[in-house]
Amino acid sequence: MDRVDGTDHYEGDKQGPGPSLLVIVLDTNPHAWALLNPTLPLSKAISNLLVFINAHLASHNANQVAVVASHCHRSVWLYPRPEPPSEDVEMKDNAPALNDANKYRPFALIEDSLLTSLRELISTTTENDISTTNTTQMAGSLTLALTYINKATLLFSDSNVTSEPMSTTLEGPENTTGLQSRILVISVSGDLAHQYIPIMNTTFAAQRMRVPIDILKLAGDTVFLQQASDTTKGIYMQLRNPQGLLQYLMMAFLPDQTSRKNLVAPTQEVVDFRAACFCHRKVVDVGFVCSICLSIFCSPSEGAICLTCSTHLALGDYGSKPAVVPRKKKKKRKLNGGVGTPSSRGGTPMPNE
Amino acid sequence: MASITKGSAAYKKKDGTLGITQNEKSLQWLPLGASADKAVTIAIADITNLQQTPETAPKVMLKIFEKSPDAPEAVTHLFHFNSPSNPRGEANAVKDVLTNLISALKAKDASVPTANGSAPASAAMAMASAVTSKQGLVAAKWFDDNALKVDIELQQSLMKKDPSLHGTYMEALRTKPDTISNSQFNSQFWSTRTNILRAFAVETSQKKGSYNVLSAVKPRQVDGELKMNISAEQIQLIFNQHPLIKRVYDENVPKLHENEFWSRFFLSRLFKKLKGERIVETDGTDPTFDRYLDATADIGPIQRLLGLHIPNVIDLEGNQENQGGSKGGNRADFTMRQNSVAKVPIVRILNSLSEKIMANVAPSDVDPADPIGMDEETFNALALRDLQGDSEENRIMLNIKQQSQFFANEKSEVSAEAALYAKQVPAEVLSNMRFDVNPQHMNHRVGGGLDLSSAIGVIEDSDSDEEPEKKVPHVGSKSSLNDAKDQILEGVKSRRTEIIGSDAQSSLSGLSQKIFDRLTLTHATTTEFLHHFWLVFLSGDPDRAGELAKMVETLERAMDRINSVANDADAERDEIIRRHKQQIRDHFERTGKKLPLNSSAIGGGGKVVREMMEPTIKTLHKATKEYKKALTAEGIDTS
Ligand SMILES: [Zn+2]
Ligand SMILES: [Zn+2]
Repeated sequence: MDRVDGTDHYEGDKQGPGPSLLVIVLDTNPHAWALLNPTLPLSKAISNLLVFINAHLASHNANQVAVVASHCHRSVWLYPRPEPPSEDVEMKDNAPALNDANKYRPFALIEDSLLTSLRELISTTTENDISTTNTTQMAGSLTLALTYINKATLLFSDSNVTSEPMSTTLEGPENTTGLQSRILVISVSGDLAHQYIPIMNTTFAAQRMRVPIDILKLAGDTVFLQQASDTTKGIYMQLRNPQGLLQYLMMAFLPDQTSRKNLVAPTQEVVDFRAACFCHRKVVDVGFVCSICLSIFCSPSEGAICLTCSTHLALGDYGSKPAVVPRKKKKKRKLNGGVGTPSSRGGTPMPNE
Repeated sequence: MASITKGSAAYKKKDGTLGITQNEKSLQWLPLGASADKAVTIAIADITNLQQTPETAPKVMLKIFEKSPDAPEAVTHLFHFNSPSNPRGEANAVKDVLTNLISALKAKDASVPTANGSAPASAAMAMASAVTSKQGLVAAKWFDDNALKVDIELQQSLMKKDPSLHGTYMEALRTKPDTISNSQFNSQFWSTRTNILRAFAVETSQKKGSYNVLSAVKPRQVDGELKMNISAEQIQLIFNQHPLIKRVYDENVPKLHENEFWSRFFLSRLFKKLKGERIVETDGTDPTFDRYLDATADIGPIQRLLGLHIPNVIDLEGNQENQGGSKGGNRADFTMRQNSVAKVPIVRILNSLSEKIMANVAPSDVDPADPIGMDEETFNALALRDLQGDSEENRIMLNIKQQSQFFANEKSEVSAEAALYAKQVPAEVLSNMRFDVNPQHMNHRVGGGLDLSSAIGVIEDSDSDEEPEKKVPHVGSKSSLNDAKDQILEGVKSRRTEIIGSDAQSSLSGLSQKIFDRLTLTHATTTEFLHHFWLVFLSGDPDRAGELAKMVETLERAMDRINSVANDADAERDEIIRRHKQQIRDHFERTGKKLPLNSSAIGGGGKVVREMMEPTIKTLHKATKEYKKALTAEGIDTS
């Protein structure tokens, strides 16, 4: 009976979930899309993505979106477009796409900007760009996404005076009323081992900012993106059927953090936690970690000197050639031959050696 | 040539005096009355052994074994202490000093770090340095893996504290091959756990310090009578912290009954004063204790503090003296004033109590054997660093190199995709891509915007379910969307069982708790043996090759053990199925209805065991394979 005045209702409204920012990292590696073309052409993927973006924007009136392309040699903003030179502004208004009466104007704006930027990006790509690399600038794009999120979060808390100021501590309390940001990576290429370190760095940054990184894997396989989503509690999906892209997007990736608390995420549970060595960027099963700078190596380095920090390390007995034959004295000598020299010896090498 | 310690002793039937020379380098026997050239001098460094007749023997003799570096054999000297008054005492005095000197010399030889690094100056000093070097040894033990590995006592007490470790140990010990001796096993077991041992050793060697005991004793008033629990240790502590109470106790207790003394004390004004509480007029008086109210409290520890050599630089009281008192301007804060005890008792009491507690704590950073004068370190510590500009940074420099510089052969390994990419012609890739995103080919509407409803390929009317074969699957086709939905739901399902299914019942996967426990133990021991295997295998020590062969046998037996658990699990499952069948039969006999038997719904069995142990089994295979590979590399037939 106390509730008749309806104050509950107003309070409930105030506490409602905040808007969310979705930053999409679209892997535009031309090689990979060329391979995917028969099943899922880039154009179709973009259309599906646009529907998904519209759905995201429609689910909250203050929701925001940003799209960054992770291309073969650079990362480019597709939406919002970087500030164009002033004279272009008029032209934009005249763009025919924006006058479509059948389209909600904000949707049309994004679509126009995204397609324009993408076409620009592809038209400026040279053959040389494609032939010199087979991977994509994933780490750079993730970094762009994170900086954008950081900026948007600050702007948002500035404009909402009532909301709590952004805490300056790195892993602040979970904010439920502020801007909830997440990253969705649409990945088509593998071979990210060369970017292992920067990718892991952005992953940990995202973890501290409480930004989940969702991975939608259309092709290729990278252990590190899997780790990124696992560390940040994002969703990882390797598509069995790329042609059902829209279904995946709408069903698995549309819910924001607030909704996800009440949902069971369809993420794949088996995570490959291997790391790449710093010396050859190979993914390693067994590695050697420098106790000083934590660099990872696939094999003990020459003279037991860390390649990164030049520290002389003690290796102990590990890595010696397994000795399985004890018996004859003569044989033992021969077996032991290599071990006797100081360079391959397990013990601590002295600095003056 | 005077000796500091000496005694009358006969040597080769001649009377004389045996003593240690002033420089403590040698033992000297001087015959009575004879000239010094008949004297016997033994360098202490050359003494290899000392022997003495037992305390009860009537004759007091000391046998000294001397072996100089260039002498081929040791020479023995026998001294017969024959002092008429106290031969035993003199002999012991000489022997004790000698023992100290020898051990000090030995300690120096073994380059055990002594307190001050110089030769001991006196017997007392030798003792002191022996004490400190012993402490040093204890600390060093924490860092010495080998010492930890052989410290059975430590290991036992650790296992007492950690039952699961104890379980693993016992199980591994039980199942180890007979060819490995207990001590071998022991050292192997602990060699993988030195870190745990070290942490435990450090943990157990730490002790709690003393506390403010007066405030810890809480007397309760029951029916006007004072009840309290005070332990012997607390009394000890009280006496330590408050020598005044000790004095009061001393002077009064025979007269006063012990219990009465304490209960009256805890009610007295003296107690309140010592505890630092304000004394109010209503507090009862007690002539026995009130006598001591004005007694200068507890100077003992303070005296000890004063006894320490406090450098003048930090000795505030010394400064006060130098300044000639504080009559004038720089009046001290009232909490610091000598006669304000009554005003702020609690501050003063707590300060002085802390002082006393600290005074009773053996300083960890001061070596009592240090010279009184100031050494360089103390001087540096006392130097007024604020006035000396910036000190040099004392850091370990890391020379971090740009990582990209040392990727020697960057593209050594190419992934499967990269190989496919390499086959593509860049020009074609580019032109196809441009064609693909060309506005003309992207389902643009008349207005210019993208027609999303057709672009995404979902055709509402197409009921492709009817003839799926006829249609070429396209983006957004019903079948692809359904497939996607299925995959997502599969993910949700497996995730949900992961979240919800973490309760005990399902985590056993149908195994009984008994079998599961056995499996857990088997797993732990197998891991243990794998540890040992790799340790020995990778040590590259040919002397351990025999041990290695035994380890491989153990691994094979580990596999047998897993199988045995699996077999038992199978038997258990069969039993459950049998009971189910029996139930069905009973049900059939009673009702005439036949229930279906769903054996796939019954979990457990050897299959589950093998699934659970699969990674372990894989690692076992890997270990034996590596071993055989190494054997083959040595040209030994492994078949
Ligand atoms: Zn490497
Ligand atoms: Zn390093």
